[in-house]
Amino acid sequence: MVTVRINGSEFQVQKNLTILEACTHAGIRIPTLCFMQDVARNASCGVCLVEVKGARSLVRSCTACVYEGMEIVTNSARIRDARKTNVELLLANHPKDCLTCLRNQNCELQTIAAELGVMESRFVQTKKRVPLDTTSPSLVRDPNKCILCGRCIAVCSNVQTVHAISDSQRGIKTRISTYMEKGLGNVACTNCGQCALVCPTAAIVERDDTDAVFEELMDPEKIVIVQTAPAIRVGIGEAMGMAPGSLVTGQMVAGLRRLGFKRVFDTQFAADLTIMEEGHELIHRLTNKGALPMITSCSPGWIKFAEHFFPDALPHLSTCKSPQQMFGAIAKTYYAAKMEYDPRNIVVVSVMPCTAKKYEARRPEMMGAFEHWKEKRAWSDQDAFYDVDYVLTTRELARMFKESGIQFASLPVEEFDNPLGESTGAAVIFGASGGVMEAALRTAYEVVTGKTLADLNFTSVRGMEGIKEAEVDMNGKKLKVAVAHSLGNARRLLEQIQAGQSPYAFIEIMTCPGGCLGGGGQPIPTTWDVRKKRAESIYAEDMGKPIRKSHENPQVAALYRELLKNPLGELSHHLLHTSYEKRGVFVWNTNGSRTKNLTHAK
Amino acid sequence: MDGTEVVSRELQQIDAVISKHKGHHGELLSILEETQLLSEQQFLSEEALNHVALRTGVPLSRIYSVVTFYSFFNLKPQGKHKITVCRGTACHTKGSKALLDDLGLMLGCETALEGGDAFYTTPDNQFTISTVACFGQCALAPVVAIDGVIHSNVTSGTLQKLLARVSRRRVKA
Ligand code: SF4
Ligand code: SF4
Ligand code: SF4
Ligand code: FES
Repeated sequence: MVTVRINGSEFQVQKNLTILEACTHAGIRIPTLCFMQDVARNASCGVCLVEVKGARSLVRSCTACVYEGMEIVTNSARIRDARKTNVELLLANHPKDCLTCLRNQNCELQTIAAELGVMESRFVQTKKRVPLDTTSPSLVRDPNKCILCGRCIAVCSNVQTVHAISDSQRGIKTRISTYMEKGLGNVACTNCGQCALVCPTAAIVERDDTDAVFEELMDPEKIVIVQTAPAIRVGIGEAMGMAPGSLVTGQMVAGLRRLGFKRVFDTQFAADLTIMEEGHELIHRLTNKGALPMITSCSPGWIKFAEHFFPDALPHLSTCKSPQQMFGAIAKTYYAAKMEYDPRNIVVVSVMPCTAKKYEARRPEMMGAFEHWKEKRAWSDQDAFYDVDYVLTTRELARMFKESGIQFASLPVEEFDNPLGESTGAAVIFGASGGVMEAALRTAYEVVTGKTLADLNFTSVRGMEGIKEAEVDMNGKKLKVAVAHSLGNARRLLEQIQAGQSPYAFIEIMTCPGGCLGGGGQPIPTTWDVRKKRAESIYAEDMGKPIRKSHENPQVAALYRELLKNPLGELSHHLLHTSYEKRGVFVWNTNGSRTKNLTHAK
Repeated sequence: MDGTEVVSRELQQIDAVISKHKGHHGELLSILEETQLLSEQQFLSEEALNHVALRTGVPLSRIYSVVTFYSFFNLKPQGKHKITVCRGTACHTKGSKALLDDLGLMLGCETALEGGDAFYTTPDNQFTISTVACFGQCALAPVVAIDGVIHSNVTSGTLQKLLARVSRRRVKA
């Protein structure tokens, strides 16, 4: 402990704390901009300045540490002036188009300018405007709005170990770049959107599809249906101004009906279906000497990560499509036939916590339903359609609600439509890290042993630990399983597999910290505290469900009875399973042709 | 010898450079520096950078960060002769923009130099024209460097003579 004086009062604080941390403990607020807890401290903005007695200049409190006897002042005319000047320097080169900006009213630069009382922008623009990066199907980058806080690089490199972006040039030309300015869509980027989640401004945002969806909703020829991922019901309330983690399943359904969707369905139906397929795939691999450990395949950022960085490990990936894609394929085959709809007129909109899902929906192999009908109906390639037409993130759905004047908090509680709206507790927990594992274990255990589980809660795979382990006894056979979230942790498990030292039979991997509830499309800010609140709501929803095991979902059972017959059967193979591409850390030539695949040595 | 062999020979040379520096302090910088010197036109091609990334395991974005930070590295082929026009404040007031425009006319590349902040190599690879923010020779403004030699108080006329001297090629008046 050390003793410091802050604004004239004495405080005992731990040593090794930064001034910012010490002040926070002492209940004194210091404004910050570039600093982000657990993510980055680049000390680039100069907003957190304080006076330290004896120091020649003002001190950046986010990086400077306290020492015995330190005397700190956090508020003075000199400090206020310097903070304002530093924000003004940022504003000099910032396109100040807040009114028409995607981050309007959810922007840290805007907030800090207001909080510090910045009332003018005295400095002239010194940087040249540069073009936007629109190469990615998931994200759009506007380097002009970047304040060079470095959070995106930190997340991409340290948390995700993808290194898709870095700083380039120097001095006034410094900017965030992809390799050779190729753009996110042309380099090894997983589309996870974690960079967008931490960006304080609109320099990285989701690709906005709200206009396109509004247009479809207006089209009388189209049957526009919607599916919502588990993590939306614990996120959308927050985006509509409610407390973090608010569980709003029923209001969300009501809101989607008000927007004009003809049917409001649940991706959780497809999550239960995924467990049926994936659970049986695991059993099949275990009994037929298949590639083990088997790794889950629900998270499209993780899939692309594996394709880029671990192409030789692809046989370990479950061949199951993600729930989003299974839903699309079933909606445009089973459901279309049941309702006698022309599948070409069905528009499937997904609401996902995820930016990578936008990319996944456009993977060329995701046309299972079209392939299914093509021969039967003698359709040509001109009739081709994707299984999922549009993917909206939680943030986009919130914008649609607001634009439509929906008073979210006062909406009534409504139920999903049937049959694709029926789901179990096992499907809800897909939204949290460890949930797919737990759901799979609930089903695999009962299928393999023929016994009923006494306790459905596999608590050892829950929580925010980076890598979690569990052991399950199945008829005397011990199964070791592991769960990882964020790609840095995934990398560790993959390296273990490559070294031939993986002790596991089954691994769950989610791209985003905390799982989907912390996805790149979720409300901003998404901090660890917020993630924990969302997780609590997810597990509360599971507890409240009358059915909590996927194999007991009556509508999934009906789907097998009426169409698919058996898990892993012929039709499942075509509609619900997929294959992967060995990408390597690929590089595109400037002329657009692809050079040979590169795989990193490390 | 066909093109692919040339490329693979260059890549083999890069491999040798990498093994030479492996494990040493500042390894990446030395590797990139020597790789650039290996190339005939004194630049780091995308192939070369890809290869360095592949062999060293350094992410491509990091490599790009390094090669754009140091002005020593070139990402575009360099001409036989290097002409650098100073665009600092003093040189600007003394007409360095006009000199740049003159160069454009003489070498037939007006549009490429239009912005006043140029990097251009003539299609015949004879000249690379670039600008710097300041040479630190403001008293001698305007300043132009040709193949490393700094020329002071440059006028359109002297520029033309200097160009003719380094090149046998006819320069448009
Ligand atoms: S990024 Fe923030 S400050 Fe910049 S225009 Fe958008 S809302 Fe305004
Ligand atoms: S989307 Fe993910 S992988 Fe791509 S740049 Fe952003 S953080 Fe990196
Ligand atoms: S893009 Fe956003 S997160 Fe990245 S450095 Fe710029 S402002 Fe920071
Ligand atoms: S918050 Fe400390 S310098 Fe930006």
